[in-house]
Amino acid sequence: MSLHTDHRSLLAVAFGGFLVLSLIIAVLPAYEVEKAPPGAGITQAEGAVARGRALYLKEGCAVCHTQFVRDLPVDAPYGRGSVAGDYALEDPPLLGTQRTGPDLANVGQRQPSETWNLIHLYNPRAVVPTSVMPSYPWYFEEKPEPTPADVVVPVPDGYKPAGVTVVATEEALDLVRYLQSLKQTELPQ
Amino acid sequence: MSATRTDRPQAGLDIDTQRLMFGFFWWSGVWLLIGTLYGLLAATKLYWPEVFEHPWLSFGRIRPIHTNIALFGWSSFAAVGLALFVVSRTSKVDLALPQAARLGMWLWNAALVAAVISLSLGVSRGPQEYRELIWPIALVYGLGLAAIAASVIATVARRKTPEVYISNWYILGALCWMATLYTIAYLPFYQDGLGNIVIQGYFMHTVVGMWFTPLVLGILYYALPRMLSKPIYSYALGVLGFWTNMVFYTLIGAHHFIFSPVPWWLQTTAILFSVGMMVPVWSGTGNFFLTVRGSWSKVRRSYPLIFLLVGVWGYALASTQGTIEAFRSANIYWHFTNFTVGHSHLAMYGFVAFAIWGALYGLVPRITGRGPSAAAISLHFWLAFLGGSLYITAISIAGVLQGASWVAGESFIASVDAAAPMWLWRTVGGFMMVASHIVFFVNLWRMRPVRDEALLTGEGVPA
Repeated sequence: MSLHTDHRSLLAVAFGGFLVLSLIIAVLPAYEVEKAPPGAGITQAEGAVARGRALYLKEGCAVCHTQFVRDLPVDAPYGRGSVAGDYALEDPPLLGTQRTGPDLANVGQRQPSETWNLIHLYNPRAVVPTSVMPSYPWYFEEKPEPTPADVVVPVPDGYKPAGVTVVATEEALDLVRYLQSLKQTELPQ
Repeated sequence: MSATRTDRPQAGLDIDTQRLMFGFFWWSGVWLLIGTLYGLLAATKLYWPEVFEHPWLSFGRIRPIHTNIALFGWSSFAAVGLALFVVSRTSKVDLALPQAARLGMWLWNAALVAAVISLSLGVSRGPQEYRELIWPIALVYGLGLAAIAASVIATVARRKTPEVYISNWYILGALCWMATLYTIAYLPFYQDGLGNIVIQGYFMHTVVGMWFTPLVLGILYYALPRMLSKPIYSYALGVLGFWTNMVFYTLIGAHHFIFSPVPWWLQTTAILFSVGMMVPVWSGTGNFFLTVRGSWSKVRRSYPLIFLLVGVWGYALASTQGTIEAFRSANIYWHFTNFTVGHSHLAMYGFVAFAIWGALYGLVPRITGRGPSAAAISLHFWLAFLGGSLYITAISIAGVLQGASWVAGESFIASVDAAAPMWLWRTVGGFMMVASHIVFFVNLWRMRPVRDEALLTGEGVPA
């Protein structure tokens, strides 16, 4: 058998070698770590939180926001180092690779305000002037007169059309519920 | 800039085969334009967030559209089209199963159209980089890959030469590795919780290193000696690069999740073999430059060769940069920053795109007998080279400024403010890149196969 003259052997070695290496480096380790149990206090997202998470995925929020705190001084503002148990119930887990915006693993602790979050989603620049985050006006309604049941978003003048009231849709509220739910649990000592 | 007819179709391919191969090049050009317009829009939104405020054009949705089209549209189409030519030339037979290759082309186009629509609507598997597409679309893409692989393997199997030329090692390898890694990425059985992240690191890395890298290296091992009219410096170095690339590259995906809860041994293995990658990278680069030695006067007169060698240099730079980025100390400063974006563009643009353009300008005139003017190629080169350099430099500086701001413990928005001027320069570079792609598209049109002309002049008829 010569790999130089026998394309079947060449293909077999290239394919077999790669498959074995892939099993060792990816599939088997994945199979091992997926068994990590959820940490204490980690629960399956349900109801509004689950719907909000689906919107978070749909809008690609994780393109710019990690939920992955490294156990390093530089990451200390975002919380404790992330552990396997944090992600055990997530599909897919949202560790991420880019921080064009800040990490959100613990944002529910840092920024729990519903009002702030709603204004920020409607137009981030209304609360953070130099923010480059997209606005999500399609999760809000602009009404001349809100009804008593409406959740009115107090958007400052200059950041909404004149003469209208901004009202949060169910989806905007779901998204905020999800963001509020992002709280790191305490690790057992 | 009229079409010149300096190159006869030396390859002597019949018009149907010419059209099949050119189909891949044509669609690569279409997807390049679409994909980079999305990229340009995404870049613009980072300093002008209100521009084109529409759900379908929101940053979080268009970024995966840009990456998926750039990878699976432009780069894959162009590289596979060239690979079809290379396997048939080096095997000294007609392309086998051309219907399968054509089927693959249309399956890929169908998958990409579905990808743009679904991602615009926010229908995806979430932000799992480069495997955002829902499984039915991925399945169509995978079937397209299988059809193309059938054509390539059958061509090599029918070869009239005893040896399998080194280019075909890389091309055959790329096809079977891509089929394997794409399957592993989509099978769900080991991807709960953090298992998903282990596979994510593996996939996002090997899809570049075991698909695009070997495909383009295979093309280079044919195009460079062919365009210089001399043999490759060392066949053995090519073989060394093949095996070391396969072993080392496969093992390093976890370096995208350094300091994560992914097992520490896996991260350390990834860092170690990232250093090992210097073996295939520099043996390959050395091999190419030693092949050029003594022929620099030829290079100076040929923009296709200049494209090709910028691509080789991009390969060396991007890979070496990748090794450095894998170190834990570098991770602290660079990870999560725009430096990564600069790195991926150095790899997919500085290496893959430039090498592909060089091979296209060098080889397509041999397929169709028609080429663009030297001035048109040089216009493409300088716009792409200066635009790409500006883009990569600006976005890398943005990354360094972000990292420095975080390490200094400033509030997060300070890192946004620090990077903002660089985002403007990055967009200027992006404009030049897109302009160069328009020139490329026109040049591609000038290289299209034409039946009537060939018949009139008696050219293009196989001897």
